[in-house]
Amino acid sequence: MRDCNWAREQFALLLYGELSFDQEEKLESHLDVCGECRAALERERSLHAAFDGVEIAPSPSLLRECRHYLRAKLMEEPAPQPVRIGWWDKFIDAIALRPASLVLRPAGALTLFALGFVAARTLPMGAINFQSAGMIPGAARVRYVEPASDGKIQIVLDETRQRIVSGRLDDQQIKALLLTAAKDPSDPGLRAETVDILNTRAQSADVRDALIAALQHDQNAGVRMKAMEGLKPYAQEPEVRTALAHVLLSDSNPGLRTQAIDLLTKGASVDRQIVSTLQELMLRGEQQGYVRERCRRVLEAMNASLETY
Amino acid sequence: MALKSGLQMDETALIRAAQDGDHAAFEQLVRAHDQSVLRLAMNLLRSPEDAHDVYQDAFLRIYRNLHSFRFDCSFHTWLYRIVTNLCLDHMRKRKVRKEEPTVLATNDGPLDRMDAVPEDRVDGDPQRYLFSGQVRRRIEEVLGELTPRERMVFELRHYQGLRLRRIGEVLGTTEEAAKNCLFRATQKMRAALGDFI
Repeated sequence: MRDCNWAREQFALLLYGELSFDQEEKLESHLDVCGECRAALERERSLHAAFDGVEIAPSPSLLRECRHYLRAKLMEEPAPQPVRIGWWDKFIDAIALRPASLVLRPAGALTLFALGFVAARTLPMGAINFQSAGMIPGAARVRYVEPASDGKIQIVLDETRQRIVSGRLDDQQIKALLLTAAKDPSDPGLRAETVDILNTRAQSADVRDALIAALQHDQNAGVRMKAMEGLKPYAQEPEVRTALAHVLLSDSNPGLRTQAIDLLTKGASVDRQIVSTLQELMLRGEQQGYVRERCRRVLEAMNASLETY
Repeated sequence: MALKSGLQMDETALIRAAQDGDHAAFEQLVRAHDQSVLRLAMNLLRSPEDAHDVYQDAFLRIYRNLHSFRFDCSFHTWLYRIVTNLCLDHMRKRKVRKEEPTVLATNDGPLDRMDAVPEDRVDGDPQRYLFSGQVRRRIEEVLGELTPRERMVFELRHYQGLRLRRIGEVLGTTEEAAKNCLFRATQKMRAALGDFI
């Protein structure tokens, strides 16, 4: 009877293939001699088969809808932070079992051995006390180590420290930091917020230059859009018009290009250069339908030829 | 890094490309896994709206945190860890609200989960069909009575076909704990369904 209780407890694991070889052997031996347990196992099989009947598959329309919605949400997301693989990460990769580390693994092992060899001969006996050295693991990284002639080891540390700086936007130091942050390639969110702040000072030439650079060269469409917002009041300035024409001709985002058309053709007089830019787009066989339509309408309103000048 | 069309990249290369900001690579990653994610969420939550929410939350989290993925575990394990946590949150909230709808609201109108099984399973015999319907309803009730963790382990083992060791990894526990959970789940179901089978 005790064997029967044990055997029946194993049925679920048997049917899921989760018993070890020995356990399965033991169970099979019991089933060979116990008709009641064989019958109980058959009932367990029926139960399993019945479970299969309640599974539901999501409809193809739900899957389509999920994919569509996700794509739209991703468009709104700032670009992901790029992965920076420093020498430390490569070293860790080299000594760990990671897929990309096959080539570097022997080098990592050798480095680890060499570090151990050097450390054993240079450091005092006993545990290294990071706290007393004022070093918190993780807050600093060893950039390189170099044995000096006097037997000491020179270690170059990279330390990351945060500092809060506050001040008004007309403070030169604050403005300089913002102009730097507006170009930080690693964080589009930071760039977008910075450009938003700089937009309030677009009357200043250096800020306007930064906004023009962001409009023409930033990888993130959201940042470019914000820069364009800030430049709107200066759409008649020659350097801003040049940047807008650049957006119209080369930007991948149709929203930005449409806004560029609006800004370039706003006002009583439209210069010949803009007309020729629009005509060039038509000649190229503009692919984005809405942009093409806007170009066509503007050219028609100006009684200009659609494809030649 | 741009993906060349038609070139099938292995998953590690896809992840690295997506980490470098390649949208097409990220989309390929999503497409490789999203059907099983949606099936898991749909089966556990039995609501297309909740399954949709879990799908969006899971892949957005993956997108936002892809830079921190260091191949310490498989991508599948990482993704399932996120999805199962989201589903467990939903299930726990639902337990508090005591909500267990048997009729689903779907895009194609109300759907009784029990009616989703094809009739040919009972060979068209009306008596067997009635009996089979009762069994299915009872299984549905019992599944709803399991604790969220038991329900999750049962789902991952029975419907998703994950080994107990992998279930342990996904749920952040040991294989033994997952086995105990499965054992409790099947014991409860056997006790509740003994008269039907």
